[in-house]
Amino acid sequence: MMGIFVSRLFMGIIAVWIAFPILVVCAAALNGGRTMFFPPEDPTLLRFAEFFVTEEVWIRSLRNSLIIAFGGAALAVMAAWPIAYWLWRKADGFSKILAGLASMPFALPPIVFGVGLVFFWGYSGSLGHIWSGIISHAALFVALPLTTLSIGLQGIDRSHMDAAATMGASEATAFRTIILPQMLPFTASGFFFAMVLSFNEFIVVFFVSASAYSTVTVQIFNSLRNGFTPTMAVGAITFIVTSILIFSMIARFGNLPQLLGADNAK
Amino acid sequence: MPDLIMSQICKKYGSVTAVENANLTFETGKLTALLGPSGCGKTTLLRMIAGLEVPTFGDIILAGESIVSKSAEQRKFGMVFQSFALFPHLNVQRNVSYSLRISGVDAAMRRAKAQELLDLVQLGDKGERKIGQLSGGQRQRVAIARALAQEPEVFLLDEPMSALDAQLRGDLQMQLRLLQQKLGITTIVVTHDQREAMTMADQIVVMSHGRIEQIGSPQEIYHKPANSFVANFIGNANLLDGVATATGIRVGETDIAVSDRDEFGAGQRVTLFCRPEAVTLHDTPAKNALPGTVTFVRDEGPIREIHLTTPAGDITAEIPGSFEETVKIDDKLHAILPENLLHLLPERAHDQNEAAR
Amino acid sequence: MGRAEPAAFVTRLGRSAFVAVILILCVTPFLLVFAISFGEKIEGAAWAWGFEFTNYKRFFVGADYPNTTSLLYLKFLWFSLYYAMFASILAVATSFPFVWLMTRQSRRAQTCWLVFFLASLTLSEVFVVMGWDILLSNRSGLPALFKEIGITTWLKESGWLDVLRTWGIASPRNVRFKPTEFATILTMSYLVWPYAVILLYPPLSKINNELIEAARTMGAGPVTVVRTIVLPMVRKPLVGTTLLLFVFLLGTYVTIAVFAAPDKSTLSISVYEAVRGATLNAPFGSAQAIILLITAAIILVLGRIAFLPDEGRR
Repeated sequence: MMGIFVSRLFMGIIAVWIAFPILVVCAAALNGGRTMFFPPEDPTLLRFAEFFVTEEVWIRSLRNSLIIAFGGAALAVMAAWPIAYWLWRKADGFSKILAGLASMPFALPPIVFGVGLVFFWGYSGSLGHIWSGIISHAALFVALPLTTLSIGLQGIDRSHMDAAATMGASEATAFRTIILPQMLPFTASGFFFAMVLSFNEFIVVFFVSASAYSTVTVQIFNSLRNGFTPTMAVGAITFIVTSILIFSMIARFGNLPQLLGADNAK
Repeated sequence: MPDLIMSQICKKYGSVTAVENANLTFETGKLTALLGPSGCGKTTLLRMIAGLEVPTFGDIILAGESIVSKSAEQRKFGMVFQSFALFPHLNVQRNVSYSLRISGVDAAMRRAKAQELLDLVQLGDKGERKIGQLSGGQRQRVAIARALAQEPEVFLLDEPMSALDAQLRGDLQMQLRLLQQKLGITTIVVTHDQREAMTMADQIVVMSHGRIEQIGSPQEIYHKPANSFVANFIGNANLLDGVATATGIRVGETDIAVSDRDEFGAGQRVTLFCRPEAVTLHDTPAKNALPGTVTFVRDEGPIREIHLTTPAGDITAEIPGSFEETVKIDDKLHAILPENLLHLLPERAHDQNEAAR
Repeated sequence: MGRAEPAAFVTRLGRSAFVAVILILCVTPFLLVFAISFGEKIEGAAWAWGFEFTNYKRFFVGADYPNTTSLLYLKFLWFSLYYAMFASILAVATSFPFVWLMTRQSRRAQTCWLVFFLASLTLSEVFVVMGWDILLSNRSGLPALFKEIGITTWLKESGWLDVLRTWGIASPRNVRFKPTEFATILTMSYLVWPYAVILLYPPLSKINNELIEAARTMGAGPVTVVRTIVLPMVRKPLVGTTLLLFVFLLGTYVTIAVFAAPDKSTLSISVYEAVRGATLNAPFGSAQAIILLITAAIILVLGRIAFLPDEGRR
């Protein structure tokens, strides 16, 4: 009885600890004045209007964030599919090495990849273009759909491909009619994982972006150094709400514990 | 006769030989069981017939035409997999009509054919069910219906009963056999269960270590095994080592007469084979009798299994069960081996028998 | 044969092109960093290819060696390692008991927790820092709150404030968190806490309840069970997680920029300054990035050898 109480208390404290800064940011968005205070002074919803409607700089960076997140995640999924499928079908040394190399940008400290990308895009003269930001994020996050797709493919009974073959399906037909429909949840969650992380990514965009385009995270970092405005807290709220919605959707339509590698039998 | 013929088939994985020089004929409309312990190469053999594995050497001929270079999707032999491999994202009816859908049959005909097959396996009312809502036995029947939907020339089943519990098996074996005879389709079943093979098959192929040990009817395999591996793998067997004589075999100090001497020359080391139910027990010595002491009695109800030690080796006898306890441990009895029910086998290699168990 | 044929929907040519694109995008940036770290700076923010160790020499002993010796960048490296190591160990040590308790809850409760942690995991470093910045800044947040409800007065009277001052998290007037190592490490460990949960979740959730029940029938209490059964079983993931979080934290930028005092700054800051910031010396920035990477690799290998003796020798 005592033990249960202590463990509940411990978990509660952790939940508060994790949620606290997030709640603080949310509350700060309600500040009436131009300065950040907690608890908020003179609560108002004016900041939300500023972020979404009136202030050009936030609207533009929000649009850039969305474009990069969506484009980057879509490209990452498209790049991850062939690698994951190859890995599943053949599991040969070459596909393993390829998967390892594709995961490298995500596994190593992002600051090193950021530095490399500055040189890479600098060479091709596209540093500061928004599409270089999209491709950078695709390369950075290809590891995520690669992981969810591999988990999904491992869950598919290999004899399904054999069964389809004995019924006259070529590999392409079997892929289209058997693998793809079963893999939709995993494709979607890989896409959403990549999109949410791209949306929130700072360091790499910080390196490859230019004054011509900046994302919400870069914009917030700049204002963080130049003094707070409560408007940026609205940006933060937007992000948190989006993340929770997306992960709730993944949890609703996919099997989140399985995606994260929990034991399936339970 | 458009039989399916495998000629000199070999399959190697690197340095490991999975199947060695298999020569087999599968008669049209007959059911063949590929029987053997796990890892004996029977599933590899089946997969080569399906086109899922490519033989390292040899040819596969169907109706006089080589099909060895055809892929699985070109052969379109229906196959039931050990796990059934039913597609979880499709319902029962769409699973059954899958092969028709991908070959472009229109929806109405697909549905009619699927219904016909589901009726055949007595699942006519389950067409809209999801795979996850079916029991093991129902899944197996869906898998069978699905494999038959494309009207295959050869019907393959890989351990179709192994995922089911023992009670269901006996019933489904019978149903599968009746269905196969009704459709008259050439069928090949892989199994490790000798009872299953005996129940269903016209022809049994016993395999071990990638080699074919014996091909024959269930009766031949049971009553006249080719060697001690087959004798041991199919049911229980008494095997006694000895030396061939002009009239039979000498085991220990006793001469045993054997009517069916085969071609063994006198003096050759051979193994005597006798099924336990052929052995009779007597209080007094007679011809072909081995004196022994009872060491264990296993009463299974309908039959009673008596274990004896004799100077020539251990012997098991099966006698009808009864209410009275007729035999006790330490009784001295004579085990009579009937001359006309004995066979001589090549001398057994003991390690091989160990591996088979 | 259908099985032997490679994926039929991608032609051989398309596949080679695809592999090339992956390699160019994921590998070349790292190769460029490596190559340019041997280059030399040209006045006016440009640089040229080269093969000299000037940048590495500068890192270890200063540009003006042997006349003078500067250990400035070694100090940055030290702080990179110090913050990352401290924060990752803190995160794993506190998340382990939490995840253990979490995996013993119902599947539904687990899913809710996972959504919660995934949402906070994806939360940008920028937002996390913003939240803690509001909480820890001297004018608002906790210091202001402490003053308001009288904790500050109590701390002063009870003498705890002096203790906090010796720990470096208080000024003579009130608690003070910015800039401190305390705030830096706290925020960094907060950053990776959800990662620790996600990484420890699979191994811990796979531990069968029967195992725990078996131990309990032999008289082990909950704490003994964790100590004698669970901990040894997940030693490998625990070490692996700590090392992974450590590598991840080596690149922390925003937290350091906001919470760390300039003299306790890290390599990430100076790498950015060199590559895109004020100092503009790309080759030297690359050299620093490479050294960061190599140090990470060395620590990974040492960590594996020290804590996973059977694994480290592979």
